Amino acid sequence: MTTQTRTDPFPLRRYVVLAVKNLRRRMVRTSLTAAGVALAVTVAVSLGGFMLGYRGAIDESIDMLGFQIMIMAKGCPYEAATMMLKGGTGLLYLPADVYEKVKEDKEIESITPIFVGVAQKQGSGIRDDGGENNFLIVSGIDVASYQVMKPWITFKKGQGFDGGRWFTPESRTEVVLGFEAAEYEQRKVGDTFYASITPAGTPNAVLHELKVVGILDRTGTQDDGTVFLPLDVTREYFGRPGQLTILGIKLKQFSGEKMREFETRWLKLPEVQVVGLQQVKSTLVGLVATAQTMIAAVAVIAILVAFIGVINTILMSVYERTAEIGIMKALGARRDSIFQLIWLETVMICFAGAVAGSGVAVIGSSVVERAIKAVADLGVSGSIVRITPAVIGYAVLGAVVLGFFAGLYPAWRASSMRPVEAIGKGN
Amino acid sequence: MNEIMIEGRGLKRYYQRGSETVKALDGVDIAIRAGEIVSILGPSGSGKTTLINLLSGLDAPTEGKLVIGGKPVAGLSEDQLVEVRRGMLGFVFQQFSLLPTLTVAENVELPLLFLGLRADPARTREILAAVGLSERAEHLPRELSGGQMQRVAIARALIAGPKILVADEPTGNLDKATGESIIALFKKLAAEEGLAILLTTHNTVFGAEADRAITLEDGRIVKEEMATM
Repeated sequence: MTTQTRTDPFPLRRYVVLAVKNLRRRMVRTSLTAAGVALAVTVAVSLGGFMLGYRGAIDESIDMLGFQIMIMAKGCPYEAATMMLKGGTGLLYLPADVYEKVKEDKEIESITPIFVGVAQKQGSGIRDDGGENNFLIVSGIDVASYQVMKPWITFKKGQGFDGGRWFTPESRTEVVLGFEAAEYEQRKVGDTFYASITPAGTPNAVLHELKVVGILDRTGTQDDGTVFLPLDVTREYFGRPGQLTILGIKLKQFSGEKMREFETRWLKLPEVQVVGLQQVKSTLVGLVATAQTMIAAVAVIAILVAFIGVINTILMSVYERTAEIGIMKALGARRDSIFQLIWLETVMICFAGAVAGSGVAVIGSSVVERAIKAVADLGVSGSIVRITPAVIGYAVLGAVVLGFFAGLYPAWRASSMRPVEAIGKGN
Repeated sequence: MNEIMIEGRGLKRYYQRGSETVKALDGVDIAIRAGEIVSILGPSGSGKTTLINLLSGLDAPTEGKLVIGGKPVAGLSEDQLVEVRRGMLGFVFQQFSLLPTLTVAENVELPLLFLGLRADPARTREILAAVGLSERAEHLPRELSGGQMQRVAIARALIAGPKILVADEPTGNLDKATGESIIALFKKLAAEEGLAILLTTHNTVFGAEADRAITLEDGRIVKEEMATM
């Protein structure tokens, strides 16, 4: 017979094939262990996607605000942040002269005054919410400066929507609806819209009959759910002439230094807070930081459980194959060959789990997003779970590293077996 | 005379069991030449497996001189012993010990993986033909009879071209006819390939088929018979 002399330049490929076949011998156990890793990876990927998505959503929402700085009455910073992005109900009002003073600042490129009020929907809409979600966010705006601040705002077109326009500043009966507000109330251009507003200092609401003159395209911001009226008319309806809720400001040059200088200049006004977008971002991130920490803790526990599960599975497999490992050594396997084989099996379980877990996370991301939004108002619009290739890449890499460490002890145990004892135990 | 492949002088293997010293092997002298079949006989506990473990480099003697393939092995560590075994020795075990998820051909080629050698399908076919399993290359072990599995184990032992074949109770799990065919295969390999074959057996009939039959009792050689053929 001829003898075998050619060396194999790629032995790893054959080790991988052998490792796969070894894992397939106990498919149920292998699958359950991989499922444990998959669960941990699903949690980690979802969390990573949430962290990334939420920050991205905050950035986008703030960018879509159009202004970099907001001046508002002193109050809770969380409320300020959410009001800036989503509107709000616990409204405080700026003193009447603040706008006149601030607009003279030479560093300001543009400024827009906004009055935000809450109106009742009862009796006004087609839908009946049974008492829940029965209010409207009404924004009184100065159209000219608002358009400068948000030049991307356009009117919806199509049957029933054509001819949309802003109201005239003096109009007392014209209203513009945000995309979602119109969709929810099923209104088109030319329809009548009712808003029940209680003026400050009076006990009774006044029902206003308004004509829809325009419906905005979707912006992905709080504007979508807002009902817009002329600034002065709104203030009059709410019984707060001259008062404002927010001053939206864009500086000529925006930087941390310019922001601090601006803040220093205007914090001297009583009852005023100057909120920068960075501040809003950190405030909103802080809003969910605790929840994210808790989810991260769950992810860490899941990873630890998976880690122990993998070690347990591979150790059981090593003990079951004691005689087989002894025979491999008798056949010429060195310590490092056995170590490599067992280590590969561990890493492959973790890799398979990581791929499966990432897949589940991607498929289930919309469910996770709906669940998060159902339990908490995070103050931003748009998608808050973004699972990018980088997130998946890190998760898979992390799982492989997990496999590296989980495989160390079983691989060492297997490689340290003496063949004469291993074969004897197996028999 | 053929080259001596294994030579042991004054081989002792003692184990400590609690405070008691067990003399599994107590001063054995033995030499096995190329092309020779040596059978080791004896009752359970006589030291057969201990002797075969020493002579195959799976274990090291407590005392004595042992040379395998020209290399002294007394006092070597496990890592050093594996270097002596690699490519020099082929093993056949009573339990066959085939990997259940590998095909016959893959089982046969397994030692090559550990030796860093590339599998050559032609060589695998040649070996399988030599053990009479040409048609079974793609079968899984569970699809084979006991005798066929033992033949796969023999093919696996031969794939790397060893000089010494060690078989521990190779016919222990086989019926008489299959056992005879395995012994016949050993004889053919020794005669045609010049393999030194060392085998243990309980079966005195198979043992007597060897060129030499060594009988052990209490860790000592009590009888050594040459073939009567």
